[in-house]
Amino acid sequence: MNKIYTFVLRFALYIIFAAPLALFIAYAFSTRWFFPQPFPSEWTNSAFISTLSDSRVFSGLRDSLVIAMIVSLLSLALGFPAARVLGLRQFRGRQIAWLILFLPTVVPPLAIGMGLNILFLQIGLAGSYVGVVIAHLIPTLPYVIFTLAGAYARYDENFEFQSLVLGASQARTFFTVTLPLIAPSLVVATLFAFIISWSQYLLTLFIGSGRIITLPILLFSAASGGNPVTIAILSLIFLAPPVLVIAATARQLNNNEGREQY
Amino acid sequence: MTKVNLISLQKTYHGQPDLVLKNFSLSVDDGEMVALLGPSGSGKSTLLKLITGIEHPDSGDIQFDGSSIVNVDPNKRGAVLMFQKSYLFPFLNVEDNIGFGLKVQGASSQTICAEVKRMLDLIGLPGIEKRNPGQLSGGEGQRVALARALVTNPKLLLLDEPLSSLDTSVRINLQEAIRKIQHELGVTTIFVTHDLGEAMAMSDRMALLLDGEIVAVDKPDALFHHPRSVAAAKFMGVSTFLNGDQLKVQNEAGCSSEKIFAIRPEHIRVQKDGCENSMPGVVSGCVFRGEYVEYQVTACEITVRARMPMPAPMFLNGERVFVKFPQEHLFEVNSAR
Repeated sequence: MNKIYTFVLRFALYIIFAAPLALFIAYAFSTRWFFPQPFPSEWTNSAFISTLSDSRVFSGLRDSLVIAMIVSLLSLALGFPAARVLGLRQFRGRQIAWLILFLPTVVPPLAIGMGLNILFLQIGLAGSYVGVVIAHLIPTLPYVIFTLAGAYARYDENFEFQSLVLGASQARTFFTVTLPLIAPSLVVATLFAFIISWSQYLLTLFIGSGRIITLPILLFSAASGGNPVTIAILSLIFLAPPVLVIAATARQLNNNEGREQY
Repeated sequence: MTKVNLISLQKTYHGQPDLVLKNFSLSVDDGEMVALLGPSGSGKSTLLKLITGIEHPDSGDIQFDGSSIVNVDPNKRGAVLMFQKSYLFPFLNVEDNIGFGLKVQGASSQTICAEVKRMLDLIGLPGIEKRNPGQLSGGEGQRVALARALVTNPKLLLLDEPLSSLDTSVRINLQEAIRKIQHELGVTTIFVTHDLGEAMAMSDRMALLLDGEIVAVDKPDALFHHPRSVAAAKFMGVSTFLNGDQLKVQNEAGCSSEKIFAIRPEHIRVQKDGCENSMPGVVSGCVFRGEYVEYQVTACEITVRARMPMPAPMFLNGERVFVKFPQEHLFEVNSAR
Protein backbone atom coordinates (compact mmCIF):
# COMPACT_ATOMS: atom_id res chain seq x y z
CA MET A 1 0.00 0.00 0.00
CA ASN A 2 2.72 2.32 1.06
CA LYS A 3 4.64 1.47 -2.10
CA ILE A 4 1.74 2.38 -4.35
CA TYR A 5 1.28 5.60 -2.47
CA THR A 6 4.94 6.57 -2.95
CA PHE A 7 4.77 5.61 -6.59
CA VAL A 8 1.69 7.75 -7.23
CA LEU A 9 3.19 10.72 -5.43
CA ARG A 10 6.43 10.38 -7.31
CA PHE A 11 4.63 10.11 -10.60
CA ALA A 12 2.53 13.18 -9.81
CA LEU A 13 5.67 15.09 -9.02
CA TYR A 14 7.25 14.08 -12.32
CA ILE A 15 4.10 15.16 -14.17
CA ILE A 16 4.13 18.57 -12.50
CA PHE A 17 7.72 19.10 -13.60
CA ALA A 18 7.42 17.58 -17.04
CA ALA A 19 3.96 18.75 -18.15
CA PRO A 20 4.91 22.30 -19.16
CA LEU A 21 7.82 20.91 -21.12
CA ALA A 22 5.55 18.49 -22.96
CA LEU A 23 3.21 21.33 -23.76
CA PHE A 24 6.06 23.42 -25.16
CA ILE A 25 7.18 20.54 -27.34
CA ALA A 26 3.63 19.98 -28.57
CA TYR A 27 3.21 23.64 -29.46
CA ALA A 28 6.64 24.06 -31.01
CA PHE A 29 6.44 21.12 -33.37
CA SER A 30 2.76 21.04 -34.38
CA THR A 31 0.82 22.78 -37.11
CA ARG A 32 -2.74 21.76 -36.32
CA TRP A 33 -4.02 21.27 -32.80
CA PHE A 34 -7.61 22.04 -31.99
CA PHE A 35 -9.43 21.90 -28.70
CA PRO A 36 -11.02 18.46 -28.27
CA GLN A 37 -8.01 16.57 -29.62
CA PRO A 38 -5.67 15.31 -26.90
CA PHE A 39 -2.64 15.43 -29.21
CA PRO A 40 -1.72 17.57 -32.22
CA SER A 41 -2.76 15.97 -35.47
CA GLU A 42 0.11 17.19 -37.64
CA TRP A 43 3.74 17.60 -36.70
CA THR A 44 6.40 19.82 -38.32
CA ASN A 45 9.77 21.31 -37.46
CA SER A 46 9.58 24.18 -39.93
CA ALA A 47 8.56 26.77 -37.34
CA PHE A 48 11.39 25.65 -35.09
CA ILE A 49 13.97 25.90 -37.87
CA SER A 50 12.77 29.28 -39.03
CA THR A 51 12.88 30.64 -35.47
CA LEU A 52 16.37 29.26 -34.98
CA SER A 53 17.60 30.85 -38.18
CA ASP A 54 16.22 34.23 -37.13
CA SER A 55 19.32 36.39 -36.61
CA ARG A 56 17.84 38.03 -33.49
CA VAL A 57 17.35 34.67 -31.84
CA PHE A 58 20.85 33.58 -32.77
CA SER A 59 22.49 36.74 -31.43
CA GLY A 60 20.26 36.61 -28.33
CA LEU A 61 21.38 33.06 -27.66
CA ARG A 62 25.02 34.02 -28.20
CA ASP A 63 24.82 37.12 -25.98
CA SER A 64 23.03 35.23 -23.23
CA LEU A 65 25.63 32.46 -23.27
CA VAL A 66 28.62 34.81 -23.33
CA ILE A 67 27.21 37.04 -20.58
CA ALA A 68 26.26 34.08 -18.39
CA MET A 69 29.69 32.53 -18.74
CA ILE A 70 31.56 35.75 -18.00
CA VAL A 71 29.27 36.43 -15.05
CA SER A 72 29.85 32.90 -13.69
CA LEU A 73 33.61 33.26 -13.91
CA LEU A 74 33.62 36.72 -12.36
CA SER A 75 31.27 35.64 -9.56
CA LEU A 76 33.62 32.80 -8.72
CA ALA A 77 36.68 35.03 -8.80
CA LEU A 78 35.01 37.62 -6.57
CA GLY A 79 32.99 35.28 -4.39
CA PHE A 80 35.71 32.72 -3.64
CA PRO A 81 37.89 34.89 -1.36
CA ALA A 82 34.85 36.37 0.38
CA ALA A 83 33.36 32.90 0.97
CA ARG A 84 36.66 31.59 2.32
CA VAL A 85 36.96 34.34 4.88
CA LEU A 86 33.29 34.16 5.87
CA GLY A 87 33.37 30.38 6.17
CA LEU A 88 36.72 29.91 7.88
CA ARG A 89 37.34 32.97 10.03
CA GLN A 90 35.69 34.61 12.98
CA PHE A 91 36.11 38.35 12.96
CA ARG A 92 34.43 41.49 14.20
CA GLY A 93 31.67 42.59 11.83
CA ARG A 94 31.25 39.15 10.28
CA GLN A 95 27.46 39.26 10.72
CA ILE A 96 27.30 42.68 9.10
CA ALA A 97 29.38 41.44 6.19
CA TRP A 98 26.92 38.56 5.73
CA LEU A 99 24.01 40.95 5.83
CA ILE A 100 25.46 43.30 3.25
CA LEU A 101 26.39 40.48 0.91
CA PHE A 102 22.88 39.11 1.20
CA LEU A 103 21.02 42.35 0.66
CA PRO A 104 20.56 41.73 -3.08
CA THR A 105 18.49 38.63 -2.36
CA VAL A 106 15.92 40.58 -0.33
CA VAL A 107 15.92 43.95 -2.09
CA PRO A 108 13.49 43.77 -5.05
CA PRO A 109 15.33 43.53 -8.40
CA LEU A 110 13.22 46.45 -9.62
CA ALA A 111 14.75 48.72 -7.00
CA ILE A 112 18.25 47.54 -7.81
CA GLY A 113 17.59 47.92 -11.52
CA MET A 114 16.26 51.47 -11.22
CA GLY A 115 19.11 52.57 -8.97
CA LEU A 116 21.77 50.96 -11.11
CA ASN A 117 20.25 52.43 -14.25
CA ILE A 118 20.58 55.97 -12.90
CA LEU A 119 24.12 55.32 -11.72
CA PHE A 120 25.19 53.62 -14.94
CA LEU A 121 23.68 56.37 -17.08
CA GLN A 122 25.87 58.85 -15.21
CA ILE A 123 29.07 56.87 -15.59
CA GLY A 124 28.32 55.75 -19.13
CA LEU A 125 27.84 52.03 -18.50
CA ALA A 126 24.16 51.92 -19.46
CA GLY A 127 23.48 49.99 -22.63
CA SER A 128 26.89 48.31 -22.56
CA TYR A 129 27.85 44.67 -22.11
CA VAL A 130 30.14 45.64 -19.22
CA GLY A 131 27.18 47.30 -17.49
CA VAL A 132 24.96 44.25 -17.93
CA VAL A 133 27.67 41.92 -16.62
CA ILE A 134 28.20 44.08 -13.55
CA ALA A 135 24.45 44.25 -12.97
CA HIS A 136 24.16 40.45 -13.20
CA LEU A 137 26.88 40.04 -10.58
CA ILE A 138 24.58 41.60 -7.98
CA PRO A 139 22.11 38.70 -7.84
CA THR A 140 24.67 35.96 -8.59
CA LEU A 141 27.30 36.84 -5.97
CA PRO A 142 25.18 36.12 -2.87
CA TYR A 143 24.43 32.60 -4.11
CA VAL A 144 28.04 31.89 -5.02
CA ILE A 145 29.25 33.21 -1.67
CA PHE A 146 26.57 31.34 0.24
CA THR A 147 27.35 28.01 -1.46
CA LEU A 148 31.12 28.31 -1.10
CA ALA A 149 31.00 29.68 2.46
CA GLY A 150 28.96 26.62 3.39
CA ALA A 151 31.65 24.42 1.91
CA TYR A 152 34.35 26.34 3.74
CA ALA A 153 32.51 26.07 7.04
CA ARG A 154 32.93 22.29 6.77
CA TYR A 155 36.45 22.67 5.43
CA ASP A 156 39.57 21.73 7.37
CA GLU A 157 42.53 24.02 6.80
CA ASN A 158 44.91 21.38 8.11
CA PHE A 159 44.84 19.81 4.64
CA GLU A 160 46.49 22.97 3.36
CA PHE A 161 48.96 23.06 6.25
CA GLN A 162 49.81 19.46 5.50
CA SER A 163 50.55 20.36 1.89
CA LEU A 164 52.62 23.39 2.91
CA VAL A 165 54.83 21.51 5.33
CA LEU A 166 55.35 18.81 2.72
CA GLY A 167 57.00 21.47 0.60
CA ALA A 168 54.25 22.75 -1.69
CA SER A 169 54.08 26.51 -2.27
CA GLN A 170 50.94 28.52 -1.48
CA ALA A 171 49.93 28.60 -5.14
CA ARG A 172 50.57 24.91 -5.65
CA THR A 173 48.62 24.11 -2.49
CA PHE A 174 45.71 26.14 -3.79
CA PHE A 175 45.57 24.31 -7.10
CA THR A 176 46.43 20.79 -5.95
CA VAL A 177 44.72 20.68 -2.56
CA THR A 178 42.21 23.48 -1.99
CA LEU A 179 40.51 23.36 -5.39
CA PRO A 180 40.01 19.58 -5.52
CA LEU A 181 38.63 19.61 -1.97
CA ILE A 182 36.20 22.40 -2.69
CA ALA A 183 35.38 21.25 -6.25
CA PRO A 184 31.86 19.88 -5.71
CA SER A 185 30.68 23.15 -4.17
CA LEU A 186 32.54 25.08 -6.83
CA VAL A 187 30.53 23.28 -9.50
CA VAL A 188 27.27 24.00 -7.70
CA ALA A 189 28.19 27.67 -7.23
CA THR A 190 29.08 28.04 -10.91
CA LEU A 191 25.78 26.43 -11.85
CA PHE A 192 23.87 28.86 -9.68
CA ALA A 193 25.69 31.84 -11.14
CA PHE A 194 25.17 30.62 -14.69
CA ILE A 195 21.46 29.92 -14.30
CA ILE A 196 20.73 33.16 -12.44
CA SER A 197 22.53 35.23 -15.07
CA TRP A 198 21.02 33.19 -17.89
CA SER A 199 17.45 33.80 -16.73
CA GLN A 200 17.99 37.46 -15.81
CA TYR A 201 15.35 39.63 -17.47
CA LEU A 202 14.74 42.76 -15.43
CA LEU A 203 18.34 43.82 -14.90
CA THR A 204 19.23 43.18 -18.53
CA LEU A 205 16.25 45.24 -19.60
CA PHE A 206 17.13 48.18 -17.34
CA ILE A 207 20.87 48.26 -17.84
CA GLY A 208 20.87 47.04 -21.44
CA SER A 209 18.52 49.93 -22.33
CA GLY A 210 17.12 47.86 -25.16
CA ARG A 211 20.51 47.58 -26.85
CA ILE A 212 21.53 44.29 -25.26
CA ILE A 213 19.02 41.71 -26.45
CA THR A 214 19.41 38.45 -24.55
CA LEU A 215 17.17 35.44 -24.86
CA PRO A 216 14.93 36.33 -21.87
CA ILE A 217 14.28 39.75 -23.44
CA LEU A 218 13.19 38.07 -26.66
CA LEU A 219 11.12 35.57 -24.76
CA PHE A 220 9.30 38.26 -22.79
CA SER A 221 8.54 40.33 -25.83
CA ALA A 222 7.25 37.20 -27.61
CA ALA A 223 5.16 36.36 -24.56
CA SER A 224 3.51 39.76 -24.61
CA GLY A 225 3.03 39.33 -28.38
CA GLY A 226 0.96 36.25 -27.69
CA ASN A 227 2.06 33.79 -30.40
CA PRO A 228 2.12 30.45 -28.55
CA VAL A 229 4.32 28.73 -31.14
CA THR A 230 7.07 31.34 -30.87
CA ILE A 231 6.80 31.34 -27.08
CA ALA A 232 7.10 27.57 -27.00
CA ILE A 233 10.09 27.51 -29.35
CA LEU A 234 11.92 30.28 -27.51
CA SER A 235 11.18 28.59 -24.20
CA LEU A 236 12.69 25.36 -25.44
CA ILE A 237 15.80 27.18 -26.66
CA PHE A 238 15.93 29.02 -23.36
CA LEU A 239 15.74 25.75 -21.43
CA ALA A 240 18.40 23.88 -23.37
CA PRO A 241 21.69 25.25 -22.00
CA PRO A 242 20.80 25.06 -18.27
CA VAL A 243 19.45 21.55 -18.70
CA LEU A 244 22.59 20.52 -20.58
CA VAL A 245 24.85 22.07 -17.95
CA ILE A 246 23.01 20.35 -15.10
CA ALA A 247 22.98 17.03 -16.95
CA ALA A 248 26.71 17.30 -17.60
CA THR A 249 27.56 18.07 -14.00
CA ALA A 250 25.00 15.87 -12.23
CA ARG A 251 27.12 12.76 -12.58
CA GLN A 252 30.20 14.53 -11.32
CA LEU A 253 28.27 15.98 -8.39
CA ASN A 254 27.04 12.55 -7.36
CA ASN A 255 30.46 10.97 -7.75
CA ASN A 256 32.11 13.61 -5.65
CA GLU A 257 29.71 13.51 -2.76
CA GLY A 258 32.21 11.78 -0.52
CA ARG A 259 34.96 14.28 -1.08
CA GLU A 260 33.86 16.85 1.41
CA GLN A 261 33.16 14.35 4.13
CA TYR A 262 36.79 13.49 4.72
CA MET B 1 70.50 15.20 10.90
CA THR B 2 69.27 18.32 12.65
CA LYS B 3 69.71 19.95 16.01
CA VAL B 4 66.79 22.19 16.93
CA ASN B 5 66.99 25.19 19.23
CA LEU B 6 63.90 26.98 20.43
CA ILE B 7 64.93 30.21 22.12
CA SER B 8 62.65 32.34 24.33
CA LEU B 9 59.58 31.91 22.16
CA GLN B 10 56.60 34.07 23.01
CA LYS B 11 53.22 33.84 21.37
CA THR B 12 49.86 35.47 21.82
CA TYR B 13 46.87 35.00 19.57
CA HIS B 14 45.16 37.98 18.08
CA GLY B 15 42.61 39.46 20.44
CA GLN B 16 43.55 37.28 23.40
CA PRO B 17 45.50 38.81 26.27
CA ASP B 18 47.04 35.58 27.58
CA LEU B 19 50.39 34.37 26.39
CA VAL B 20 50.05 30.97 24.79
CA LEU B 21 53.79 30.45 25.11
CA LYS B 22 55.85 32.24 27.72
CA ASN B 23 59.57 32.52 27.20
CA PHE B 24 59.72 28.99 25.86
CA SER B 25 63.19 27.50 25.39
CA LEU B 26 64.08 23.96 24.50
CA SER B 27 66.82 22.29 22.54
CA VAL B 28 66.44 18.98 20.80
CA ASP B 29 69.50 17.02 19.80
CA ASP B 30 70.20 15.47 16.48
CA GLY B 31 68.13 12.28 16.14
CA GLU B 32 66.52 12.74 19.51
CA MET B 33 62.85 12.19 20.23
CA VAL B 34 61.42 14.64 22.70
CA ALA B 35 57.87 14.31 24.01
CA LEU B 36 55.94 17.41 24.98
CA LEU B 37 53.46 16.42 27.63
CA GLY B 38 50.77 18.79 28.76
CA PRO B 39 47.04 19.23 29.20
CA SER B 40 44.99 20.76 26.41
CA GLY B 41 45.53 24.50 26.19
CA SER B 42 49.08 24.29 27.44
CA GLY B 43 50.50 25.53 24.15
CA LYS B 44 51.77 22.24 22.74
CA SER B 45 50.09 22.47 19.35
CA THR B 46 50.90 26.17 19.07
CA LEU B 47 54.56 25.35 19.51
CA LEU B 48 54.44 22.85 16.65
CA LYS B 49 52.70 25.42 14.45
CA LEU B 50 55.46 27.92 15.22
CA ILE B 51 58.14 25.40 14.30
CA THR B 52 56.46 24.54 10.99
CA GLY B 53 55.87 28.20 10.21
CA ILE B 54 52.07 28.02 10.04
CA GLU B 55 52.09 30.55 12.88
CA HIS B 56 54.70 33.18 13.71
CA PRO B 57 56.17 33.83 17.14
CA ASP B 58 55.81 37.31 18.67
CA SER B 59 59.42 37.11 19.77
CA GLY B 60 62.18 34.56 20.16
CA ASP B 61 64.02 32.45 17.66
CA ILE B 62 63.84 29.00 16.13
CA GLN B 63 67.11 27.53 14.87
CA PHE B 64 67.82 24.42 12.85
CA ASP B 65 71.51 23.51 13.16
CA GLY B 66 72.30 26.96 14.46
CA SER B 67 70.69 29.02 11.72
CA SER B 68 67.46 30.88 12.28
CA ILE B 69 64.45 29.74 10.24
CA VAL B 70 61.89 32.17 11.60
CA ASN B 71 61.72 34.03 8.31
CA VAL B 72 61.74 30.93 6.12
CA ASP B 73 58.43 29.94 4.46
CA PRO B 74 56.74 26.81 5.86
CA ASN B 75 57.29 24.91 2.61
CA LYS B 76 61.05 25.52 2.69
CA ARG B 77 61.72 24.61 6.32
CA GLY B 78 61.81 20.84 6.02
CA ALA B 79 59.83 20.40 9.22
CA VAL B 80 56.90 18.08 8.56
CA LEU B 81 53.88 17.86 10.80
CA MET B 82 51.61 14.92 11.39
CA PHE B 83 48.24 15.51 13.03
CA GLN B 84 45.81 13.54 15.13
CA LYS B 85 43.87 12.80 11.95
CA SER B 86 45.81 11.50 8.98
CA TYR B 87 44.72 14.29 6.60
CA LEU B 88 45.43 12.08 3.62
CA PHE B 89 44.25 13.92 0.54
CA PRO B 90 40.93 12.20 -0.24
CA PHE B 91 41.24 12.72 -3.99
CA LEU B 92 44.60 10.91 -4.21
CA ASN B 93 45.35 7.23 -3.68
CA VAL B 94 47.90 6.01 -1.16
CA GLU B 95 50.77 6.10 -3.65
CA ASP B 96 50.08 9.69 -4.72
CA ASN B 97 49.57 10.74 -1.11
CA ILE B 98 52.94 9.40 -0.02
CA GLY B 99 54.56 10.69 -3.18
CA PHE B 100 53.10 14.19 -2.75
CA GLY B 101 56.18 15.71 -1.16
CA LEU B 102 58.54 14.13 -3.68
CA LYS B 103 56.41 15.26 -6.61
CA VAL B 104 56.48 18.80 -5.24
CA GLN B 105 60.26 18.58 -5.16
CA GLY B 106 60.19 17.52 -8.81
CA ALA B 107 61.33 13.92 -8.40
CA SER B 108 60.97 11.57 -11.38
CA SER B 109 58.08 9.14 -11.39
CA GLN B 110 60.45 6.15 -11.10
CA THR B 111 62.06 7.66 -8.01
CA ILE B 112 58.66 8.37 -6.49
CA CYS B 113 57.46 4.84 -7.23
CA ALA B 114 60.54 3.27 -5.65
CA GLU B 115 60.46 5.56 -2.62
CA VAL B 116 56.76 4.93 -2.03
CA LYS B 117 57.42 1.21 -2.11
CA ARG B 118 60.31 1.60 0.33
CA MET B 119 58.16 3.64 2.72
CA LEU B 120 55.24 1.20 2.53
CA ASP B 121 57.64 -1.63 3.45
CA LEU B 122 58.98 0.47 6.30
CA ILE B 123 55.52 1.11 7.77
CA GLY B 124 54.57 -2.51 7.31
CA LEU B 125 51.82 -2.02 4.73
CA PRO B 126 53.32 -3.24 1.44
CA GLY B 127 51.15 -3.43 -1.66
CA ILE B 128 48.44 -0.89 -0.78
CA GLU B 129 49.62 1.73 -3.33
CA LYS B 130 46.36 1.87 -5.26
CA ARG B 131 43.96 2.04 -2.32
CA ASN B 132 42.01 5.17 -1.54
CA PRO B 133 42.33 6.85 1.87
CA GLY B 134 38.67 6.02 2.57
CA GLN B 135 39.49 2.33 2.46
CA LEU B 136 42.09 2.52 5.22
CA SER B 137 41.50 1.95 8.93
CA GLY B 138 42.47 4.66 11.41
CA GLY B 139 45.77 2.98 12.23
CA GLU B 140 46.61 2.36 8.57
CA GLY B 141 45.77 5.96 7.76
CA GLN B 142 48.20 7.19 10.40
CA ARG B 143 50.92 4.85 9.12
CA VAL B 144 50.45 6.18 5.60
CA ALA B 145 50.51 9.74 6.95
CA LEU B 146 53.79 8.91 8.68
CA ALA B 147 55.18 7.53 5.43
CA ARG B 148 54.09 10.68 3.60
CA ALA B 149 55.83 12.81 6.21
CA LEU B 150 59.06 10.81 6.19
CA VAL B 151 59.46 10.17 2.46
CA THR B 152 60.93 13.63 1.84
CA ASN B 153 63.66 12.96 4.40
CA PRO B 154 62.65 15.89 6.63
CA LYS B 155 65.00 17.72 8.94
CA LEU B 156 62.49 17.52 11.72
CA LEU B 157 59.40 15.41 12.34
CA LEU B 158 56.62 16.92 14.43
CA LEU B 159 53.85 14.69 15.72
CA ASP B 160 50.73 16.36 17.11
CA GLU B 161 48.95 13.69 19.15
CA PRO B 162 49.14 11.31 16.19
CA LEU B 163 47.71 8.37 18.11
CA SER B 164 45.04 9.85 20.32
CA SER B 165 42.15 9.05 18.00
CA LEU B 166 43.05 5.35 17.81
CA ASP B 167 41.96 2.31 19.80
CA THR B 168 44.27 1.23 22.61
CA SER B 169 45.59 -1.89 20.91
CA VAL B 170 46.30 -0.08 17.64
CA ARG B 171 47.86 2.74 19.57
CA ILE B 172 50.37 0.59 21.42
CA ASN B 173 51.21 -1.13 18.16
CA LEU B 174 51.84 2.20 16.46
CA GLN B 175 53.79 3.60 19.41
CA GLU B 176 56.31 0.84 18.91
CA ALA B 177 56.27 1.23 15.12
CA ILE B 178 56.85 4.99 15.22
CA ARG B 179 59.62 4.64 17.78
CA LYS B 180 61.32 1.94 15.72
CA ILE B 181 61.08 3.88 12.46
CA GLN B 182 62.28 7.05 14.15
CA HIS B 183 65.31 5.18 15.49
CA GLU B 184 66.00 3.57 12.14
CA LEU B 185 65.93 6.83 10.21
CA GLY B 186 67.46 8.86 13.02
CA VAL B 187 65.11 11.76 12.37
CA THR B 188 64.91 14.46 15.03
CA THR B 189 61.38 14.32 16.41
CA ILE B 190 59.15 16.39 18.65
CA PHE B 191 56.12 14.52 19.81
CA VAL B 192 53.11 16.13 21.44
CA THR B 193 50.82 14.10 23.67
CA HIS B 194 48.70 14.32 26.78
CA ASP B 195 49.22 10.66 27.59
CA LEU B 196 51.93 10.08 30.21
CA GLY B 197 52.41 6.43 29.33
CA GLU B 198 52.81 7.24 25.66
CA ALA B 199 55.29 10.01 26.37
CA MET B 200 57.40 7.76 28.59
CA ALA B 201 57.31 4.83 26.21
CA MET B 202 58.31 6.77 23.12
CA SER B 203 60.67 9.56 24.07
CA ASP B 204 64.34 10.04 24.85
CA ARG B 205 63.45 13.08 26.90
CA MET B 206 60.18 14.55 28.10
CA ALA B 207 59.26 18.19 28.47
CA LEU B 208 56.33 18.92 30.78
CA LEU B 209 54.28 21.89 29.66
CA LEU B 210 51.83 23.92 31.71
CA ASP B 211 50.24 27.21 30.63
CA GLY B 212 52.87 27.82 27.97
CA GLU B 213 55.81 27.22 30.24
CA ILE B 214 58.15 24.28 30.66
CA VAL B 215 57.79 22.78 34.11
CA ALA B 216 60.55 20.23 33.73
CA VAL B 217 62.66 18.53 31.06
CA ASP B 218 64.45 15.28 31.66
CA LYS B 219 64.68 11.61 30.79
CA PRO B 220 61.40 9.77 31.46
CA ASP B 221 62.78 7.58 34.24
CA ALA B 222 64.44 10.52 36.01
CA LEU B 223 61.22 12.53 35.87
CA PHE B 224 59.19 9.57 37.01
CA HIS B 225 61.29 8.76 40.05
CA HIS B 226 62.42 12.22 41.06
CA PRO B 227 60.24 15.05 39.84
CA ARG B 228 61.70 18.23 41.32
CA SER B 229 58.55 20.33 41.73
CA VAL B 230 54.95 19.88 42.76
CA ALA B 231 53.78 20.66 39.23
CA ALA B 232 56.16 18.13 37.69
CA ALA B 233 55.19 15.52 40.24
CA LYS B 234 51.50 16.03 39.43
CA PHE B 235 52.30 15.44 35.77
CA MET B 236 53.92 12.17 36.68
CA GLY B 237 50.85 10.91 38.48
CA VAL B 238 51.72 11.93 42.05
CA SER B 239 48.74 13.30 43.95
CA THR B 240 49.81 13.10 47.56
CA PHE B 241 51.81 16.01 48.93
CA LEU B 242 52.57 16.43 52.58
CA ASN B 243 54.19 19.34 54.33
CA GLY B 244 56.54 19.03 57.23
CA ASP B 245 53.80 19.67 59.79
CA GLN B 246 51.70 16.82 58.56
CA LEU B 247 54.67 14.50 58.54
CA LYS B 248 55.68 15.54 62.04
CA VAL B 249 52.71 13.62 63.27
CA GLN B 250 54.54 10.49 62.40
CA ASN B 251 58.20 11.43 62.20
CA GLU B 252 60.02 13.98 64.33
CA ALA B 253 63.30 13.84 62.49
CA GLY B 254 64.30 16.66 60.13
CA CYS B 255 60.91 18.01 59.09
CA SER B 256 60.44 21.72 58.72
CA SER B 257 56.94 22.89 57.99
CA GLU B 258 57.96 24.71 54.79
CA LYS B 259 59.25 21.62 53.08
CA ILE B 260 56.91 19.65 50.86
CA PHE B 261 57.23 15.94 50.42
CA ALA B 262 55.63 13.80 47.76
CA ILE B 263 55.03 10.10 47.41
CA ARG B 264 53.88 8.00 44.46
CA PRO B 265 50.45 6.39 44.92
CA GLU B 266 51.83 2.87 44.51
CA HIS B 267 54.18 3.39 47.46
CA ILE B 268 51.47 4.35 49.93
CA ARG B 269 50.15 1.51 52.06
CA VAL B 270 46.65 1.30 53.45
CA GLN B 271 46.43 -0.99 56.44
CA LYS B 272 44.22 -1.91 59.35
CA ASP B 273 46.70 -1.34 62.14
CA GLY B 274 48.73 1.73 62.96
CA CYS B 275 52.48 1.56 63.01
CA GLU B 276 55.49 3.84 62.65
CA ASN B 277 55.15 6.44 59.84
CA SER B 278 51.40 6.06 59.50
CA MET B 279 48.42 8.30 60.09
CA PRO B 280 44.80 7.42 60.83
CA GLY B 281 42.13 8.06 58.25
CA VAL B 282 38.80 7.03 56.80
CA VAL B 283 38.31 5.24 53.49
CA SER B 284 36.30 7.54 51.23
CA GLY B 285 36.63 5.69 47.95
CA CYS B 286 37.65 2.31 46.63
CA VAL B 287 37.98 1.32 42.96
CA PHE B 288 38.96 -2.15 41.83
CA ARG B 289 41.15 -1.92 38.72
CA GLY B 290 42.22 -5.51 38.27
CA GLU B 291 45.95 -5.24 38.74
CA TYR B 292 45.56 -2.97 41.71
CA VAL B 293 42.98 -1.42 44.03
CA GLU B 294 42.77 2.34 44.24
CA TYR B 295 41.93 3.68 47.66
CA GLN B 296 40.99 7.20 48.60
CA VAL B 297 41.62 7.88 52.24
CA THR B 298 40.84 11.10 54.05
CA ALA B 299 43.52 11.63 56.65
CA CYS B 300 44.57 14.83 58.42
CA GLU B 301 42.36 16.99 56.19
CA ILE B 302 43.97 15.76 52.98
CA THR B 303 42.86 13.13 50.54
CA VAL B 304 45.42 10.44 49.97
CA ARG B 305 45.25 8.28 46.86
CA ALA B 306 46.92 4.95 47.19
CA ARG B 307 47.37 2.09 44.74
CA MET B 308 47.63 -1.27 46.40
CA PRO B 309 48.83 -4.08 44.12
CA MET B 310 46.72 -7.21 44.11
CA PRO B 311 46.26 -9.17 46.22
CA ALA B 312 45.40 -6.28 48.52
CA PRO B 313 43.42 -6.17 51.74
CA MET B 314 39.86 -5.02 51.03
CA PHE B 315 38.41 -2.11 52.97
CA LEU B 316 34.93 -0.69 52.75
CA ASN B 317 33.93 2.95 52.43
CA GLY B 318 33.85 4.63 55.83
CA GLU B 319 36.17 2.10 57.40
CA ARG B 320 38.86 3.41 59.76
CA VAL B 321 42.32 2.61 58.48
CA PHE B 322 45.91 3.81 58.66
CA VAL B 323 47.88 5.11 55.69
CA LYS B 324 51.57 4.44 55.79
CA PHE B 325 54.16 6.55 53.97
CA PRO B 326 57.34 4.49 53.87
CA GLN B 327 60.28 6.74 54.63
CA GLU B 328 62.41 5.49 51.75
CA HIS B 329 59.80 6.53 49.17
CA LEU B 330 59.19 10.08 50.37
CA PHE B 331 60.98 12.73 48.31
CA GLU B 332 61.18 16.47 48.65
CA VAL B 333 59.69 18.73 45.95
CA ASN B 334 59.70 22.47 45.31
CA SER B 335 56.44 24.28 45.66
CA ALA B 336 57.52 26.69 42.91
CA ARG B 337 57.32 25.69 39.29
